[in-house]
Amino acid sequence: VAALALAVGLVLADSSIVVLALPEIYRELDTSVSGVTWVLVSFNLVIALAAVPAALVARRLGPARTAAVGLAVFAGAGLACGLADELSTLIVARCVQALGGAAAVTASLELLPATVGSERRAATVWAAAGATGAALGPAVGGLLTELVSWQSIFLLQVPLALVAAVPILTVARHEAATRVIEEEVRRTGRPHLWANLALAMVSAAIAAALFLLVLLLIEGWRLSPIEAAAVVSAMPLAAILGSRLTERAGEARSRAAAGAILVSGGLAGLAFLPKATVALTLPPQILVGVGLALVLSALTETALGGRAPQAIHGGWTISSRHAGVVIGLLLLTPIFTADIEQQRHDAIDAGTAVILDSPVNPLLKIDLAEKVSERLGEERGKVPTIGAAFEPKPSDPGQRSEVEQLQSELQDQLDRGATHAFSTSFLLAALLGLIALFPIALSRRVEL
Amino acid sequence: VSGRAGNFSGKALVFGSILAALVLVGAYLAAGGSSYEPEKVQDPCQPRPWSNPQSLGQIANQFTISALDGAACQLGVTRETLALALTTPERREAFEKRYGIDDEKLAKAIRAGLLRAVDDAEEAGALSPLIAVPLRQTLQRIPLEQAIEIINDAQGFLSDAEGFLGPAQGVLEQLLPGGLEGLGLP
Repeated sequence: VAALALAVGLVLADSSIVVLALPEIYRELDTSVSGVTWVLVSFNLVIALAAVPAALVARRLGPARTAAVGLAVFAGAGLACGLADELSTLIVARCVQALGGAAAVTASLELLPATVGSERRAATVWAAAGATGAALGPAVGGLLTELVSWQSIFLLQVPLALVAAVPILTVARHEAATRVIEEEVRRTGRPHLWANLALAMVSAAIAAALFLLVLLLIEGWRLSPIEAAAVVSAMPLAAILGSRLTERAGEARSRAAAGAILVSGGLAGLAFLPKATVALTLPPQILVGVGLALVLSALTETALGGRAPQAIHGGWTISSRHAGVVIGLLLLTPIFTADIEQQRHDAIDAGTAVILDSPVNPLLKIDLAEKVSERLGEERGKVPTIGAAFEPKPSDPGQRSEVEQLQSELQDQLDRGATHAFSTSFLLAALLGLIALFPIALSRRVEL
Repeated sequence: VSGRAGNFSGKALVFGSILAALVLVGAYLAAGGSSYEPEKVQDPCQPRPWSNPQSLGQIANQFTISALDGAACQLGVTRETLALALTTPERREAFEKRYGIDDEKLAKAIRAGLLRAVDDAEEAGALSPLIAVPLRQTLQRIPLEQAIEIINDAQGFLSDAEGFLGPAQGVLEQLLPGGLEGLGLP
């Protein structure tokens, strides 16, 4: 069970683990925001496309064999990701990693019922391992990026995947392939359309929440990856709280609806942050965290409930979730990159206006305006600390105080501007969460 | 339809969620969450009143802004864009390329801006007509590089102008009935 849970957690963490490393990858591989988004998009897109076929392969070749091979491919591609020195190499390696991951995750769901004793318990362990991995991913990714490097995220996955593969491989030796795919497809009922559609929409909103929040913290408010990791840990901690609530709450549809509302409410809160302060991101994160625990478990339960084989319907849920992530990222990336670019232009104009209107000595202010606009231009989208532009400070105490006041006013303008640049994207993500209420309302768990 | 029986009903959970979401969003909106507006860049063609400058530094400050406003208005760009364009030769070149403005057009606009600054200073009582008249005549013919220098160092320019008047100051004090103070010299 531990090996299977590790395999599922490892693969599903992978779709979020690189989020905190993206700003570092973006700078080190000298790419654009849209380009670096493909490090996430490619992985999620391939998993979305490969999950169901991988489940069919698992049924044909044997789940243990498929899971072991999948983990080996995942580990090998992880090594290639860690050694990549170009964005294109990294993206290709991520695609291969996703193929291996899809095989490992769906095959694990097929293996779990025999290991834990029941399909229901297997689905619970599988969903919990996936949620834990996805929730812990950003924090672990942030720690590794800051303490070691972004490459270490992928390199660490290699031994972990191999550790998970070894016990699975021993099962694989005694496994025989028994079924044919055509028969399997015929025997499998249709996937739960509404639950899977709702999963896709909610996943789009959640992925956007995490991705945008990390960018806001690192690029907008200049937090280090480790600080950002600490801040976004509020979301998984709240998700743990939410999963306890799940055990005491009512029917799946109500839990899903409540979860989607909380996710949307949290995202709307992030869109309306009154100040550029870390503490103010915590209440919205708590709402998103509790909401995601409620909605993901309820929708997965609905999608899998009474349907067999579990691996194939699990494949559909994986496919829906990752397709949702892709949709969220592709939909929102152009919007927020355009908003950030607009904000940078506004910031240069606003910064120059603030400096020109200040009572600072004219000779000094023209020099300051030039230095500040230089800083804003050279940081490649990152909102800079403008302290360096204000050094050395004038020796005259009166002028010094004027310059310090100007610096603080300007930094506040820049921080608020950066925060505002994310508002439209957060609101759109909130809207996606609310739209998910329609398929949730139509979803009913059907016993086949 | 099936679902697990819980300790509280599904309806309570949904209403609780709606309430929590509304409270959070309402609180953030009430705290000014939607009030952010980027610092507005003002129209340089609109008059920008002088705020009773007391020292030469303050007069120079307002003088620079008036000059930039005047020049920017004539060129159809913002004051901020022009100020940044004048900081280095590279930025000036990029500005000229982007807006299709040659040196002659730029010089004409900056001279017009400096004249507006003299007018504004005189109107605000910060510059005596005795200084304003020769300044206007000088500024109408000034080369581009010097005009830019004046914008960048208005304080030095005004200080020089005042210094130029210095030797004549005593004579004028005697000739004019109200002295120089009556003319609004700083």
